[in-house]
Amino acid sequence: MGAIGFKFVVFIVAALLVIVSSLLMTTRKNPIHSALWMIVTFFAMAVIYLLLNAQFIAVAQIMVYAGAIMMLILFVIMMVSLDNGAQEQKRFPMAMGTRLSWALVVVVLLVELMFAALFYQATAKVGSYPAEAVASLGNAKTMGMLLYGKYIFPFEIASILLLVGIIGAVVLSRKNK
Amino acid sequence: MVVQIPEMDFGWIVPEIAMTVFAAVALLLTLFRKKNSTWLFVEAMPLVGAIVALYFTFQTWNGNIDIFNNLYTIDNFGVFFKGLSLVILILVTLLSYRYIDREDMARGEYYSLLMFGTLGMMIMVSSNNFITIFIGLEVMSISIYILAGLMGGNAKSVEASLKYFLLGAFATAFLLYGIALIYGTTGMLDIREIAGYVNSGNFMVTPTFMAGLALLIVGFGFKTASVPFHMWTPDVYEGAPTSITAYMATGVKAAAFAAFLRVLFTAFHPFLSGWTYMLWILAVATMTLGNITALKQDDVKRMLAYSSIAHAGYILIALTVGDRTLSSTVLYYLLVYSFMTIGAFAVVIILGRQGSPNTGIESYAGLAGRHPVIAAVMAVFLFSMAGIPPLAGFMGKFYVLTDAIRGGYYWLAIIGVLNSVVAAYYYLRVVMYMYFKEPEAEIGAPDVSIGSTLAIAISVVVVFYLGIFPRLFLMIAHTSSAIFM
Amino acid sequence: MLPYLTMNPFGFPVLSTTIFMPLFGVLFILFMSNEKAIKVAAMITALLTLAVSAFLFVNFDPTTTIFQFGERISWVSSFNINYMLGIDGISIMLILLTTIISPIAVLSSWKAIQTRVKEFMISILIMETAMIGVFCSLDFILFYFFWEAMLIPMYLLIAIWGGPNKDYASLKFFIYTLFGSVFLLVAIIAIYLVNGTFSIPEAMFKDYTFQFQFWVFLAFGIAFAIKVPMFPFHTWLPAAHTEAPTVGSVFLASILLKMGTYGFMRFCLPIVPQASFYFAPLMIVLSIIGIIYGGFVCLSQTDMKKLVAYSSVAHMGFVILGIFTFSIYGFVGALFQMLNHGITTGGLFLLVGMVYERTHSRQIYDNAGLGKIMPIYMFFFGLFAVSSFAFPGTNSFVGELYVLIGAFAVNKTAGFFAVVGAVVAAAYMLKLLKQVAWGREDKRDIKDMNLREIIYMVPLAIFVLWVGLFPRPFVNVMEYTLVNLATQLDKVSH
Repeated sequence: MGAIGFKFVVFIVAALLVIVSSLLMTTRKNPIHSALWMIVTFFAMAVIYLLLNAQFIAVAQIMVYAGAIMMLILFVIMMVSLDNGAQEQKRFPMAMGTRLSWALVVVVLLVELMFAALFYQATAKVGSYPAEAVASLGNAKTMGMLLYGKYIFPFEIASILLLVGIIGAVVLSRKNK
Repeated sequence: MVVQIPEMDFGWIVPEIAMTVFAAVALLLTLFRKKNSTWLFVEAMPLVGAIVALYFTFQTWNGNIDIFNNLYTIDNFGVFFKGLSLVILILVTLLSYRYIDREDMARGEYYSLLMFGTLGMMIMVSSNNFITIFIGLEVMSISIYILAGLMGGNAKSVEASLKYFLLGAFATAFLLYGIALIYGTTGMLDIREIAGYVNSGNFMVTPTFMAGLALLIVGFGFKTASVPFHMWTPDVYEGAPTSITAYMATGVKAAAFAAFLRVLFTAFHPFLSGWTYMLWILAVATMTLGNITALKQDDVKRMLAYSSIAHAGYILIALTVGDRTLSSTVLYYLLVYSFMTIGAFAVVIILGRQGSPNTGIESYAGLAGRHPVIAAVMAVFLFSMAGIPPLAGFMGKFYVLTDAIRGGYYWLAIIGVLNSVVAAYYYLRVVMYMYFKEPEAEIGAPDVSIGSTLAIAISVVVVFYLGIFPRLFLMIAHTSSAIFM
Repeated sequence: MLPYLTMNPFGFPVLSTTIFMPLFGVLFILFMSNEKAIKVAAMITALLTLAVSAFLFVNFDPTTTIFQFGERISWVSSFNINYMLGIDGISIMLILLTTIISPIAVLSSWKAIQTRVKEFMISILIMETAMIGVFCSLDFILFYFFWEAMLIPMYLLIAIWGGPNKDYASLKFFIYTLFGSVFLLVAIIAIYLVNGTFSIPEAMFKDYTFQFQFWVFLAFGIAFAIKVPMFPFHTWLPAAHTEAPTVGSVFLASILLKMGTYGFMRFCLPIVPQASFYFAPLMIVLSIIGIIYGGFVCLSQTDMKKLVAYSSVAHMGFVILGIFTFSIYGFVGALFQMLNHGITTGGLFLLVGMVYERTHSRQIYDNAGLGKIMPIYMFFFGLFAVSSFAFPGTNSFVGELYVLIGAFAVNKTAGFFAVVGAVVAAAYMLKLLKQVAWGREDKRDIKDMNLREIIYMVPLAIFVLWVGLFPRPFVNVMEYTLVNLATQLDKVSH
């Protein structure tokens, strides 16, 4: 069992963790618990990024999402009253059989997809930044060259996307006069 | 290793830059506006912006160039849809003037988001790269999510916004997942490169690839409101401000179909057999369910929502046939569809008033007696949607049917024509209420303004023009879709 | 130039003028508000159209089989769609019928229509344009345009000025006919894809595969059979007739129904002849069922208008029977029956409308015994009633005789049943006539026909007798075209 086998095991663990923790996040009744599970999800995702040799993104993921954004979310939850969230409310009035069959469908699909991804060797093209290139240039530098070089156009559009998001946040949360 | 961006590239995206600048200026003007001073400058921004952008868009006709490292493409297909989005922006803006005043929405944000939404459409229709398509789609979608909820005091509007946002985010995830799987199997994001790869000998259909393709279709199916990914449509269309409903039903749908068409016909066209049956099912389900459900609607706005689903089904027929030389049909149909839909929604808008939208079919009873002109133009739009010659809707239907029969999809053609008969029933029902029913309750004078009159007049003229003299725009559509050949 | 079309020899586009003259009148009427002036303007427009079509008739060359007065302008070049017009011996008769009925329709609604006169007259004139257009078009798409354009004004005629049950009737009419015409569209596109052109004459007598012909015939057949209407697609007709205003019924019976049979003659026979032969037994059986069924339903009617409506089903059965004998006698008889039915049934609807205006009832019982009270009315009623069951000396006799000759030559059984149908027709018409004329002693105070009503009934009456006694001039006009059709079909069958 060499490095590849080790990577595989880590990947499986991290991937399962992402799925399980995100499911737990959506099903918790207490919003604080949800938020905490979300942090777990973010961390597990960061592990996957690391496996993909994308250290910069992994670090950014932990710093920005698990750090800053989660703080904001927790603040908001704590400032808003928790009474409604703690109420025992059945959110999906579905029969047990229906739930189970949906769950089965989802699980089967995911497992199929996973197996498909693992056992079919893709004849994919090798990109312009293979692992060696990244290693020689450094992760952040590669990232920056891609973002501000090749992908400058979508990057700039993404900034407009952020602007639109900010406008939305302001205009929708503004109190009606 | 430094990547240079040639400076001249910016010359090709002047329309996009203009849209951004005008949208930002509209926001700034709102910020620095004195209380009780005129809104005129803010209101003029989308019109001026659209006209400037239109002018520069036409300058790029026959440009055919890839810019920004192939991440953005100027071609006639893109120019066609950019032009259509901008014209839709103009019409929707004209409709909005009195309406958002009446419904007391945030004006500066409204107009600037409208422009940002159009910017998103312009970007998503003119790129051959999944990244850019996706970002453009998101800019458009997020603008629309917010616009749908701008009627803050109205619970239905907020519901529409939230519903659209949640389901939209879900669909976006599907789309992204699809793109990721395709990227995973091919290592490419440029749809022309993917086409080359699919064409080449070492292409192998893997389940991952198929799953990616299917997820892409799901994602685009959501944005084009195709059955079974349409569940959000009626509630969102009904709850959103009517001007935004018109915008969603035309602009969003046209842009989504444009991107869908480009992706399918460029990247996956060599692999036609892999997706045409999926679209077959989608087309039949979309037409049939849209029409059958529309039959039962007693709310005109909701009925128009279902009818827009049904029209998506007709467009899907043309996609199913998958003939690259016939893709102009989709373009022409969307053009026709946009004008008649905006016209119909314009009538819905002017019949409403603050607090009472008057969208129930009983509000239309006896309209012909009180306001013969409004009733007549509404009848024109409805008959056009039903596909009665000499109105534009007929020409659209005709081209779609021709495609289907030419492609050998006889059953699809027959299901299509039967559907159009069913559709005639509910369109006619509104006409019947307008002309033959006695009014049940007084709904007051219609809220006619110069803007809405202008928008309706343009739509009526175009609906007649495209129906009787389809030649010019058919040729334009044909030239625009030549990129697939 | 085109081998099948001689160009219009006059300095002005005479067919376009005929077609768009009524629409031109509409432009004026749009800006009028005085009801009287609107009626006069509509009347003048209809008369002018009649004059132009009379000019057509006079200049029509009956000794040629190719289409005349041709006009051809490219319309949508990428699809090879042309604005192409031209007429032959079949269409000239039907155009004339349309332009004669239209002024009569305007005149007959002078008093009957009190509400929305403007919209009413506009609808009538738009209808006239569309109807003439259908008969003149030599391009499928143009044809389809006019064909569908008829739908909306007719729908409005029933739905606005109709009877108490108009919602149901108008919708049924619309949906039924739309259902048929979408199949027509499919067939048209299929033919286009084979030929590469939408030209109707170019599609005729080509060697299509039988399978292709089979499907095209079915698609055409549904469209036209609904329009005719043939049994079992006839159920919209009584509903529409009962609820439609008099003028609506007249248009419906006189001209709209002819679209279906015209379609069979113009499209089915020449374009898909082999399929026509194949389906002929079925069509003949259905037409016989229509004749007999229509007759027996008529026997049990108590509503005058419904009776006349059902008699239409029977009469149109004769037309279909004539067409599908594929003989020259059958064709001449069918075309005659189309005209006769237009005149006679149109006249009967007008007469029913007149009495309805006076007694506000269409029940036979309520209108019984009018013989002494309204002698002029009874004269016309008697004439049209006997014409309706093909009494010798009236127009229908000529038509039915031709059809029966054709039918007996093809199939004796079919001929026999058709005769039975004709006898039933005599029975119900005489029964109606007897009731209305001498049904009961009555001293009611009902005004007889006034001058206006006499004026518009007289031309119809003249036509009834003229065709009945001296049909030769009409035969001359249609002969060449129909003989040509019969010989061409004959060639195909061998």
